[in-house]
Amino acid sequence: MRLGLTHMGSIDVAVRAMARELGIDLVMPPPTTQRTLSLGVKYSPETVCLPFKLQLGNMIEALELGADTLVMPGGPGPCRFGYYHKVHELILRELGYKFHMVTQDRGILHIVKCVTNGASTRKVITAFRFGIAKLKTLEELERMVHKIRAVERNKGEATRTYRDGIIAIDNAGDYQALNRAKREHLQKLMNLPTITSPAPLKVGVTGEFFIVIDPFANMDIEIELGKLGVEVRRPISAGEWVRLNPFIHALKLREKDKSHKAAMPYLSRHVGGDGLQSVGEKVLHTRDWDGIVHLEPFGCVPEIMARNIMLSTKEGCPVLNIIYDEHTGKTGVISRLEAFIDMLHRKKRRQVEICV
Amino acid sequence: MIRIGIPRALLYYQYYPMWQTFFHELGAEVVVSPPTTETVLSSGSSRVVAETCLPVKLFLGHVLTLVEQCDYIFIPAIRSVQSKVYNCSKFLGLPDMTKAVIPELPPILDIDIDINKGKRKLYQAIYQLGRHFTWNPSKVRSASIAAWQAHLNYRQLMSDSGLTPPQAIERISGIPKPEPKTHSSNPTSPQATVAIIGHPYLLYDEHISHRLIHRLEQAHNRVLTPEMLTTQELESAIARLVGRAYWTYEEEVVGAGEHYLKSGTDGVIGIMAFGCGPDSLMMDMVRRQATRLRTTPFMSLTLDEHTAEAGVVTRLEAFFDMIYRKKRKQVEICV
Repeated sequence: MRLGLTHMGSIDVAVRAMARELGIDLVMPPPTTQRTLSLGVKYSPETVCLPFKLQLGNMIEALELGADTLVMPGGPGPCRFGYYHKVHELILRELGYKFHMVTQDRGILHIVKCVTNGASTRKVITAFRFGIAKLKTLEELERMVHKIRAVERNKGEATRTYRDGIIAIDNAGDYQALNRAKREHLQKLMNLPTITSPAPLKVGVTGEFFIVIDPFANMDIEIELGKLGVEVRRPISAGEWVRLNPFIHALKLREKDKSHKAAMPYLSRHVGGDGLQSVGEKVLHTRDWDGIVHLEPFGCVPEIMARNIMLSTKEGCPVLNIIYDEHTGKTGVISRLEAFIDMLHRKKRRQVEICV
Repeated sequence: MIRIGIPRALLYYQYYPMWQTFFHELGAEVVVSPPTTETVLSSGSSRVVAETCLPVKLFLGHVLTLVEQCDYIFIPAIRSVQSKVYNCSKFLGLPDMTKAVIPELPPILDIDIDINKGKRKLYQAIYQLGRHFTWNPSKVRSASIAAWQAHLNYRQLMSDSGLTPPQAIERISGIPKPEPKTHSSNPTSPQATVAIIGHPYLLYDEHISHRLIHRLEQAHNRVLTPEMLTTQELESAIARLVGRAYWTYEEEVVGAGEHYLKSGTDGVIGIMAFGCGPDSLMMDMVRRQATRLRTTPFMSLTLDEHTAEAGVVTRLEAFFDMIYRKKRKQVEICV
């Protein structure tokens, strides 16, 4: 069995670690590029959302490299995501690829069982724990780089260090090496020369999960915001998915639960996808964020619902909405970010003046 | 008497007889919004962000026409009517969204229908809806039983006598169909039999579908719609093509599409709204099936508020020319 997976942010680091522990022959497609997108767009239905197209492109590239098993999670729910695998499979079969598709139809444990080569439960748990540890380390590094990017003196250094960090974490073979990589790169980030002008703006990035997580899909929005001297706050992360601590679950301490609770006065029901969370983040963080950048793929119904509701909340945090599809140009995104950040600066200055 | 507004959009075509019976039994008066006009559609569109799908904009337009006329507006959140099969996001958040974008709204009667939460929750939800009118649970119970019976009769009427929802609603409750049919009788042998698949809120809204069904009938074609099939036929078609239904109203698209592609109709026309999440994938499933089968011509029409009538007509003409030519050729070969 040669297992092919799709990309989503830097989740491949965790997946590779698990595969190494379990001895799975993993065929990770090459990093998402314009070619991936073109392949995906060529064979996808026209008005489907961007994640579908990117993942189809990834799958084709994985199959080209010789993968024979594909995994596509996604259970019943109102978002299109759960229907992806049916159409993906159909398209790939029509293209003439031979493969086996593992889906979540029979539960998430079925997927685990299918892809782990019949390894013992203990081994699977050990491997998963290590993968999750890597994911958490990545997240910590990410939070730090979000802070440093806004205030670094030589633009680009933090991102370079962060990328080195990802490689080091990817190469770490055990917990010891992982901890060492983490300490080393956190230290490096903190030691970067910084500017000491007034505190940077804090801008939250929310919206549809895939677009928020995946730097190719969102055109490195975090880096661009960092270049503009903005501290990014991003409550959505891949680590959030695997936060399995039962206490945190039971006490509803996850960011997701908190934002759902905050959204209640405006949207009292789940609308699928991350719609409810988008509304919640706006309500929850109106005071501590200067603005919100809301990302969504074109045609995402849950986010459209959320956007309609976000417009009318009492909490008036400024929101910039960016919609992505295969035609979105990076320059357009950057111009809009610049204009938005200018506006936030002006607003903040005025507030300071009024206070004085 | 309490007046309850029901917008003539979205699920109206599926459930109106049921809702009407329920409210009638509880002693309320039901007000249905007038048929769609351009003003209705544009007033609805002006309230929401541009990417919102056409049916929702239309729905809001209808709600706006009801604002002055009634004490309550009935906007259910139909989440799931089948175990582990969910509805599109637009239905789930509909009451909340309507409240957010139309602040001048009279109070909303909303009800969460979610089969996955169990029967008990469902009954509680129905009782809570009934409590607006009466405190007597048995009255609510009898009203809901009557409503369910009305719904079953309605479905039966459509699949037995081949009526479209507006025709069936007209027959049941005397709400006249927006535009009465002008042609008197079907010719003895129709020129062609075509099936139209898609959600009822698109097919039967004469304004946004540009009187599609009417147009086809006038050209002496027989028109088949998803409602003319029985539930069993639809379910078995879905099982053949995709296995298990994923969306609540999948049968109207995938089920009906698969059935009609294989049942010897002369052509199948798929109608979808631009930017519809579920349809973008479901219609594609049907299109791919049509390509694979290579027996029945298939065309998909995407509608939004800018779709011009002339464009729709041109495409229909081309499609029918092709069908007629195909039929002529078949006849020639036989001779």
